[in-house]
Amino acid sequence: MKISYNWLQNYFEEELPEIEKISEGIIFHSFEVESIEKAGNDTVFDIKVLPDRAHDCLSHWGIAKEISAIFNLKIKEKKYKIFEPKPTKLEIKIEDNRCLRYMGRVVKNVKVGESPKWLKEKLNAIGQKSINNIIDAANFIMFDLGQPIHCFDLDKLESQKIIIRNSTTGESIDLLGSEKIGNLVKTRSILLKSNDLIIADEKNPLAIAGIKGGTKAEVDSNTKNIVIEVANFNSIAIRKTSKQFNIFTEAVKRYENEISPELCEKTMNAITDLIWELNEVEVEEIIDIYPTKAEQKEVSVSVDYINKHLGTSFLKEEIEGVWKRLNFEFSKSVNEFKIKVPYLRIDISGPHDLVEEVGRILGYEKISPQIPKINFKPKINETFYKILWARNKLLNDGYSEIMTYAFCNTGEVEVLSSASDKKFLRTNLSDGLKESLKLNQLNAPLLEMEQIKIFEIGTVFLKDKEEMHVAYGDKKGVKEMNLENFFHKNSSSEEHGYFSAEKFLVLASSRSQVSSEENSYSRNFKPWSIYPFITRDVAVWVPKGESSEELKKLLKNNATELLVREPYIFDSFTKDGKTSYAFRLIFQSYEKTLTDDEVNIIMTKISHKIRENSRWELR
Amino acid sequence: MDKEIKKGKEHPLSIVINEAVKIFTDLGFEVATGPELEDVWHNFDALNVPKDHPARDMQDTFFIKNRPEYVLRTHTSNTQIHFMEKFAKEGKKPPFAIVVPGKVFRNESTDAGHEMQFYQLEGLMIGKDINVANMKWVLLEFFKRFLGENTEIRLRPSFFPFVEPGFEVDVKYDGKWMELLGAGMVHPNVLKNCGIDFEKYQGFAFGFGLDRLARIKFNISDIRFFYQGDLRLNQF
Repeated sequence: MKISYNWLQNYFEEELPEIEKISEGIIFHSFEVESIEKAGNDTVFDIKVLPDRAHDCLSHWGIAKEISAIFNLKIKEKKYKIFEPKPTKLEIKIEDNRCLRYMGRVVKNVKVGESPKWLKEKLNAIGQKSINNIIDAANFIMFDLGQPIHCFDLDKLESQKIIIRNSTTGESIDLLGSEKIGNLVKTRSILLKSNDLIIADEKNPLAIAGIKGGTKAEVDSNTKNIVIEVANFNSIAIRKTSKQFNIFTEAVKRYENEISPELCEKTMNAITDLIWELNEVEVEEIIDIYPTKAEQKEVSVSVDYINKHLGTSFLKEEIEGVWKRLNFEFSKSVNEFKIKVPYLRIDISGPHDLVEEVGRILGYEKISPQIPKINFKPKINETFYKILWARNKLLNDGYSEIMTYAFCNTGEVEVLSSASDKKFLRTNLSDGLKESLKLNQLNAPLLEMEQIKIFEIGTVFLKDKEEMHVAYGDKKGVKEMNLENFFHKNSSSEEHGYFSAEKFLVLASSRSQVSSEENSYSRNFKPWSIYPFITRDVAVWVPKGESSEELKKLLKNNATELLVREPYIFDSFTKDGKTSYAFRLIFQSYEKTLTDDEVNIIMTKISHKIRENSRWELR
Repeated sequence: MDKEIKKGKEHPLSIVINEAVKIFTDLGFEVATGPELEDVWHNFDALNVPKDHPARDMQDTFFIKNRPEYVLRTHTSNTQIHFMEKFAKEGKKPPFAIVVPGKVFRNESTDAGHEMQFYQLEGLMIGKDINVANMKWVLLEFFKRFLGENTEIRLRPSFFPFVEPGFEVDVKYDGKWMELLGAGMVHPNVLKNCGIDFEKYQGFAFGFGLDRLARIKFNISDIRFFYQGDLRLNQF
């Protein structure tokens, strides 16, 4: 959520810490800060509010409370004007229990017009367009307190009665705002189903509850009298309906995450106050239908419980300080606190949740690493070590390991929907292995392998079970069996014995366990070129007994950067006092397809160099 | 000519998995394995993931056709549940510590950093007083042995339904902080769901992507190299 620094500052008498400090505080005590951007003379944080705090932190007030707790700064609570409201004729009827609370208030003699500069600036800073002063006021309070608000034009209603009910099939609603379809800008009309929660007058739907308003009671420049709606709806119902119609509004974002119905009252006061400030209006009484009042939870937690879970030795006073910083009401006995959880903190339901509050507010960096004091007695996991054993066996037999995709075009188990076109799970490893053999045979010269031998160990999915398989093969053929059979077929009786005695680990030494340092730290991965390679062989007679090193060095030094592998000997023999070394050179570019001519130029140069050595003779 | 068989080359992911498992077994963890095709109880419900949680959407999870209660596991955490259920059923009492290396699946489009299948390593340690400080020690020790003595870690608040408190763990390697794993104290509901007495026992869990770790360790730019069956990958 976008949070304005200047907006936050309004919550504090004291000057806030500088931007970087605020950001760091939020990151290490509350949420990730995804970006920090300048917006005129303001700065805007994009804060990734965690899902369990979307109940109370999708608002400037919510973030201000976090900052108050993190930096121990006193928050300035706004005092709202006390009105002497006029009696009202507004009637509200909740006919569906998915509406948890509905507050309505009629405000008369509003003057719809442009918003004052400060209001426009605040909304612009967080990326919201200004529409008119009434809508802007409602939006401002939502981004301030986290509670969505809707305003209807009272005079467009059939009567002064608002009903919250289930839609009936065939009803439709034209949504506020317009959407662009190609070059056409038009109003979106929604055909309601039989189970959508709506706000209606005595005749028509006025809004899809908690999601979006309709055009029938739209506030426009001629509007004189309005009804302010501050309501609460079941979060799951909102999520379902919004998904069904593909409408994702700022209101949906808050309702679908569940907010407390207790927030309605403060919000109604705030919005009335703001509208009154914008133009002196006539305020009527609030009608508040609140069938089941939310209960305030009480959670007890002891100092010991907190320290036992965090591995700390925080003092009772330090912990008490956290409750104060979070503005939690609490009582205490000798070693225990009883916390009255604020209504808005829907995430807190047990002592484990309070452990988190103490840990994050005092700072996780205060927890020092401690070695666990338990002497664990691990057991050997058969499957894992049989896999290790099989892998080592095949590696030792000269097979190299591959991994391929579990998804394919046919099979016995199908997934419902997939981001790829392959919707089935593999029933064997052999098909993938054969594809891999083909691919690697083409690359054989690059791989410095006389023969391509590969294996895969992985899960296959049969109609009613999954199985761990081993497949291995070369150009002569591929063999596949389940892990168990592979083990029984290939292991000695001694190895069986080790296994049953749980000494299997001694057999399962993987290469990486032998010398990980050398194998993995010293080298970086070399990505490969997608362009074809060209191979050239060069054979040279040298005096018997002379090593191939000098020749190899000459080849390396003259083959240019297009040489992608070390030159290697693929054939050598000795005859009549001379030894023949046949080297293979592989050329490849990372930028283009090489031509024969380009390689020929290099080979000509190499030939010249070889001839310069009188002991050598090109074959 | 030399007729001795030249040893084959291991897949880089196997190297990383074995090395990680070796470190954890040295620290006292045992390996646990579990199914890749899983029921929603083990993949979601028992892990305290609410029924309407966005992670359960079709866009993120592979659901199995004609078997509405089954998915391809989205994390190795399913194996925590299998292990603890069995453990409790056999009447055993904590402590225990397990690591679960294994393949997991996410229904998402692929790019250099994302794959539909990848490997995760999950850890779980439960005892009478296993705490966040112990978790910090285990993770720091692991990363020091895996990436080098200079490695540092730090915790940030995060949220996962199966832990409370929940953490994002950053690892400092090569002078750079990287967000590498999720962790936390196992949520009492999870222990309860498995039949472990949550008033008596507590502990931590963590999970990280092995592909990501392999990419960091070997400096491999693209996760998709791993599953092409191309031996040019086996450079180590």
